[in-house]
Amino acid sequence: MLQKKICMLGSFSVGKTSLVRRFVESIFDEQYQTTIGVKVDKKIVELAGKQITLVLWDIHGEDVLQSMRMTYLRGMSGYLLVIDPTRRQTLEDALALEARVQQAMGLIPRVLILNKCDLIADWDIDLERISAFEKSGQAVVRTSAKTGQGVEEAFSTLGAAVLHSAA
Amino acid sequence: MPEQAQRRADLPENQAPPESSDRAFEELRHIIISPEQEQIVEIRSRIENPERRIKDVSSVVAEAIQMRRQQGDPTLSQALAPTVEEVLRESVRSDPHILADALFPVMGPAIRKSITETLRSMLESFNEALEHSFSLRGIQWRIEAVRTGKSFAEIVLMHSLLFRVEQVFLIHRETGLALNHLTAPSVTTQDPSMVAGMLSAIQQFVRDSFASPREESLNSMTVGGLEVWIEEGPHVVIAAVIRGHAPADYRIALKEAVEEIEAHFALPLASFQGDAGPFRAADARLQNLLVTQHREKSVARKPTMAIAAGALFLGAALGWISHAAYQHNKFSRLVSSLSRQPGIVVTSYGKSGGRWHIRGFRDPLASDPASELARYQLSPDSVALQFAPFFSLDDAMVTLRATNLLAPPSGVKLTERAGTLAASGMAPSLWMARFNERGALIPGVASLDTTQLQNGDIVALESVLLTFPVGQAKLEPGQASIISRAAVDLKTLRHYAELTNQTAALSIIGHTDSSGIEGANQVLSSQRAATVAALLMSNGIPRELLVSRGVGTAQPLRNEDNEQARHLNRSVTFHVALSPSAP
Repeated sequence: MLQKKICMLGSFSVGKTSLVRRFVESIFDEQYQTTIGVKVDKKIVELAGKQITLVLWDIHGEDVLQSMRMTYLRGMSGYLLVIDPTRRQTLEDALALEARVQQAMGLIPRVLILNKCDLIADWDIDLERISAFEKSGQAVVRTSAKTGQGVEEAFSTLGAAVLHSAA
Repeated sequence: MPEQAQRRADLPENQAPPESSDRAFEELRHIIISPEQEQIVEIRSRIENPERRIKDVSSVVAEAIQMRRQQGDPTLSQALAPTVEEVLRESVRSDPHILADALFPVMGPAIRKSITETLRSMLESFNEALEHSFSLRGIQWRIEAVRTGKSFAEIVLMHSLLFRVEQVFLIHRETGLALNHLTAPSVTTQDPSMVAGMLSAIQQFVRDSFASPREESLNSMTVGGLEVWIEEGPHVVIAAVIRGHAPADYRIALKEAVEEIEAHFALPLASFQGDAGPFRAADARLQNLLVTQHREKSVARKPTMAIAAGALFLGAALGWISHAAYQHNKFSRLVSSLSRQPGIVVTSYGKSGGRWHIRGFRDPLASDPASELARYQLSPDSVALQFAPFFSLDDAMVTLRATNLLAPPSGVKLTERAGTLAASGMAPSLWMARFNERGALIPGVASLDTTQLQNGDIVALESVLLTFPVGQAKLEPGQASIISRAAVDLKTLRHYAELTNQTAALSIIGHTDSSGIEGANQVLSSQRAATVAALLMSNGIPRELLVSRGVGTAQPLRNEDNEQARHLNRSVTFHVALSPSAP
């Protein structure tokens, strides 16, 4: 089975861990994230009849901004860039993060996740920018860790992008 | 002060008016400065006089050091350290006992603790040794101890450092993805891809957090009785999860495995895109790591020696056992063979002092037991035979004994059964006399049976046929030797009869052929018998032994259908009668 290293990136408390908690296989305590800044989980997605194991590196929200934790990103095939649309700053942080990732590792498949879409009434981001991303062909998936909406799609979209990029 | 006051009081008296101002000044100066001057002198003397200075410093040195220490200034310690060290060295050099005594209260408990710890682990080893002493492994270890010249305890200690590599991860270094994962039997594991990822994360965390200048990384972790040993190559990382304490050379095994896998999988590693498939081929290499390198060596080398030694030992043991069994078997067969031999009685047998022995009785006429040894390929040295002579009443033995003693002539056979010695065949009467006389004296013989025995002399006499011409009572010529032979036989017979308390009588019977008149034939036959009687008497036979009579044609010897038969009927024959002598 094909395995791919995938990172979950995004600011603190955007819901990365919540996404992981409900929809991936997990054997480690979440305390790992706060102690060493990362927790590794697994998600198997099926694409075109083939199963792919996505090994998810759920990187602690705040740590990822520190340069030394960038080493956790080494060898990744793609990443989910998670934002909390109810907090405007999380998009800014995410874009800054993406810029750093691109600077360090070049263009890598990524999917922008707008989490907490169950709280759409509280959204506080510039939706114009989001649609601009979508128009430019960047993958954007709206998810809710609470309802489960869009989570499978988020992982399979990234899986497809990773496969496409590898091909 | 009283002195000064006095001087001041004295001043006006000593002052003169012109010089008085100078003197007054001097006085004043003296008054003002003098005490300080004196103090300066005093202080100088204190400074310049070493004895005073020592005295001064000594009164404050302890407080000074204490104050300096309280200020937290390390300079004092640094300054004192070399001196203290030198002091200790000097102290030990001059008298080691002082320091030893001083340290004794500290060293005692420290040494005790160390010894206790050592003894405890030794005790554990010996407990284990005891546990293993009577097991197969214990025996193996003992053999190993003998073979290597090490003490048994050492061998046990060596083997007690047992460990088990429970899992081996082959991890792609850059991505942290699991390339391969092997587990020892009956080890429960977590999802290897996640564990591999976490291991890489921890590895990177440690490297980032405590990075040394030389890019060193975490190469082992310990959790209770579990150790994780990690060995990195440029592309792969091998992590071994070990229960117990692996020997240092297991690290070398890990390094070698990393190097080999790096070399062998260079291409798939360079182009790795997440497909772990090609790395299944590393199974065999990784499997070697599940069995420790330490053991691998011993397993690879020792068993050949141990098995060879064991096989040799077993072979020797089996050989010895089978040889012993073979010898024992031969011995048993010898004993049973001897027991079956007529004339041999085995009363006891066995083995003592590494030598077999058989005891019993043997008839002198029985077969020689020593010759039986050769038959069973037993060396005479290995078996002691002790047979006492005796007369066996075994039928075969009695027969043999009788035959030996009586020396029967050819044609006579002796058979003893249940105490009766029977003779069969034809024997000269003199031998028959001997048989009758001695037969019953032979040990084992109670009675004699001669019913199947013919007296050779009687047979010879009764087969004599003397022929006569037609109508004559005179022998046909050439029969004189028959007469003399018959006379000899008759004499022998008479001797035999005497020996056996019998009386022998010879009937001389005259015959005629059927020609002629019956009355004349009767006379002729009587004459023929008388002729022979006379001839026998002339050969020394007493008359009383002989009874002659003619039977004419009454008892023809042949049917007269030819001349030869008629010739045989013109004859004289003998009949012998033996009858018990009158007492």
